[in-house]
Amino acid sequence: MLPLAALSWLALLACMLLRASPASAAWIGVPPDWLILVTQAVFAAATFTHERFRPDRLRGAEFVPLLRQLLFWPGVLAGVCALLHLAERLLSAHLPERGPVLLNAFYVINLGLFVYFLARTCYTWRTLVFFRANHRTRRQWLWFEMLLGATLLFRLADSGAPNWLMLPVLALLAGMGVYLSAHQQWVAYLNRRQKWEVVFLQLAVLGLMAVFLVYFLHLQQDPNLAGPLAQHAFLVLTSFFAGFYAVMGLLVTLFNLPTAGVFEQKREEILSMQRLSQLIQKGQTEKEVYSLLFDSAVHTMEADAAWLDLTSDGSAPSLEYQIDPPTRQGINRLLTDYNIGHIEYLNNDLPNSAGFRALGLTYGSLIVMPLRSSNHHYGTLYLLKELRQGFERENLSLLHIFTSQTVVRIDNLRLMAEALHNELVKEELKIASIVQQSLIPKTLPVDSWFEIRWHSLPAREVGGDFYDFLQLSASRIAIIIGDVSGKGTTAAFHVAQMKGIFHSLMLLDKPEKGQPLQPSKFMAMANQALSHCLERSSFITASFYIVDYKDRGFAFARAGHCHTLYYNAITEETFYFQTEGLGLGIIRDASYEKRIKNMYYDYNPGDVMVMYTDGIVEARNAQDEEYGEDRLRQLLERSHYLEAEEIKQSIIRDLEEFSRGLPPFDDQTLLVIKFKNAQPLV
Amino acid sequence: MKIAQHTDNDTLTLALDGELDASSSVSLDTELTKPDILSYRKVMIDCQRLNYISSAGLGVFISHLQRFQDAGVKLVFFNMQDKVHNVFEILGLDSLMTIVPTAQEAASV
Repeated sequence: MLPLAALSWLALLACMLLRASPASAAWIGVPPDWLILVTQAVFAAATFTHERFRPDRLRGAEFVPLLRQLLFWPGVLAGVCALLHLAERLLSAHLPERGPVLLNAFYVINLGLFVYFLARTCYTWRTLVFFRANHRTRRQWLWFEMLLGATLLFRLADSGAPNWLMLPVLALLAGMGVYLSAHQQWVAYLNRRQKWEVVFLQLAVLGLMAVFLVYFLHLQQDPNLAGPLAQHAFLVLTSFFAGFYAVMGLLVTLFNLPTAGVFEQKREEILSMQRLSQLIQKGQTEKEVYSLLFDSAVHTMEADAAWLDLTSDGSAPSLEYQIDPPTRQGINRLLTDYNIGHIEYLNNDLPNSAGFRALGLTYGSLIVMPLRSSNHHYGTLYLLKELRQGFERENLSLLHIFTSQTVVRIDNLRLMAEALHNELVKEELKIASIVQQSLIPKTLPVDSWFEIRWHSLPAREVGGDFYDFLQLSASRIAIIIGDVSGKGTTAAFHVAQMKGIFHSLMLLDKPEKGQPLQPSKFMAMANQALSHCLERSSFITASFYIVDYKDRGFAFARAGHCHTLYYNAITEETFYFQTEGLGLGIIRDASYEKRIKNMYYDYNPGDVMVMYTDGIVEARNAQDEEYGEDRLRQLLERSHYLEAEEIKQSIIRDLEEFSRGLPPFDDQTLLVIKFKNAQPLV
Repeated sequence: MKIAQHTDNDTLTLALDGELDASSSVSLDTELTKPDILSYRKVMIDCQRLNYISSAGLGVFISHLQRFQDAGVKLVFFNMQDKVHNVFEILGLDSLMTIVPTAQEAASV
């Protein structure tokens, strides 16, 4: 479009110069009126179309830079126009014979500048009209543009078109221009300073238009003007629209000036709310978040004094702003007396409330805003103003939004801290679990005269069940199985202790000196050792066995642990050993030893011994029934002839069948020993 | 777990109702920790509605056993279900604590 505009303008210049200088005209010929009109129209159309398709100059809501931009270049152009006019006057005084040529040349230049200025102005106004405009306004503008375009043709068909056809169209267009000029929403988005600036910018735009107008009016009377004036409907209408919109904008801005303060305050409130919601989400500590809330609330509400009481469970201290302790305590006490200390409360006329008057306050208005989530009260915010009627209902709702956001952030912070803590605990549990795994014997004693198999399943990462073996000599082996009361990490610590106690006490076993360790003695000493490190409500159950191949028998003691299940291959009986014995740690003095009994039993090849923890017999099914000792005994009656591994497997299978996929409620440990008819290997 | 209290002269009766597991044993511990409980001559635990006792529940009784003994307060369990009695028995507590079948016997201890 730009080349077309330039070409048509050059053509116009050439035509006008030809008309102004008869000498050259005689040489080439005098261009007709219609040619000048056509070049004028093409130039105007091309310039406007070019401006129309330029990208929008408005960045965000930066109206002032937009207007400044509009003013700068066209302003320079108007200056050029005025200068050219003066220059033409001066030159024509010195060169009278060249007068008409200069005049016409400068006229064409000025016309070009004016058309460009109009196009810039009209499309800047379009940007403003379209700001926050709906679809309808955009359609109306399109019609306006199209009709304006049509008026370009009017002048071409000037001779033929009767006035009665043109007048209504012109009136309609002028009306549309007025109507479109009412779209001045953008003014509301300016602050006070910007509004003043805009007033001056609009005045300057109008001034520029006046400069051109004066020039063209002045030129109209000049007899030296060689061609028909470009005062066709198009330029008149666009000038009218450009001028009218500027005037309207000026008036709207002017009328908006007195209320700018109120608008600005509202804007400030909204902005600070946005700022707060962004900031609050960045607050890394509770203290930071509360300070942000407090500062924003005091600033936005323009409070004269304020404080923020926080409940003691948080890590942040209470906050104050220009409040003295006696006033604060007095108000707190009064609100507590009225029983409104922790609810939303607005009093805009403190001097008229008896209670507050008695406090002798210098304040007129009070807002109380609790910080509360659905299940937690974090604190309460108090704002004071010296004025009566100092706060509005909207202030209350705004404050409400502030506090809600704060509470959400605080909630999030606490959840995050908790999650982090949980993660740490999980990590520690994992370590505890690894440590405990390392405590469980990995290698089973292997010998030809017995077979031993185990199974262990903790209910959590770490368990309270334990078992251990120690091969004392080729023919002697010590076995311990037990359960620490409670579950989890505490229990796991005691498991580690028991393992230490077991291995230490086994050093006292000296059969070669005729001093084998008696199981009851073992239990008594273990009880004594534990009494120093076990908390009062904890206890440990254990069964301890020393199996001796030479004697073909074993000695054992039971300290409150589950009864041992036994199959005797000679009598073919399956039974539980019914021995007495108190759990470890229940009584912690020397009298414990009297409550534990030794038992001796001779084994036969083919005998089976099943040791387990209560997690096995107390396993529950969906009907909340216990697995029970009886079912275990009946199972062994059917499976005693199998190898130890198969017996173990059959018990696990039966247990799974019974609980049908329910997770274990307690740790489960199982040891199966089968005696063989063979010599020890060593 | 519900704990009903009943005072008769120098005897306090606590009736346990439900399952005495890790969480409910805390409230039982609170009851038994109260200092004025030592002013009674006898504390009777009615176990008729006690369906289950975990090791944590046993731990509560065990931890107060010595304290009661030192203060001369008798601790008597009665109306115990077989299942629960079995747990006391396996642990060896039946020889350490007074467990009687009925309320009459408990009163006459």
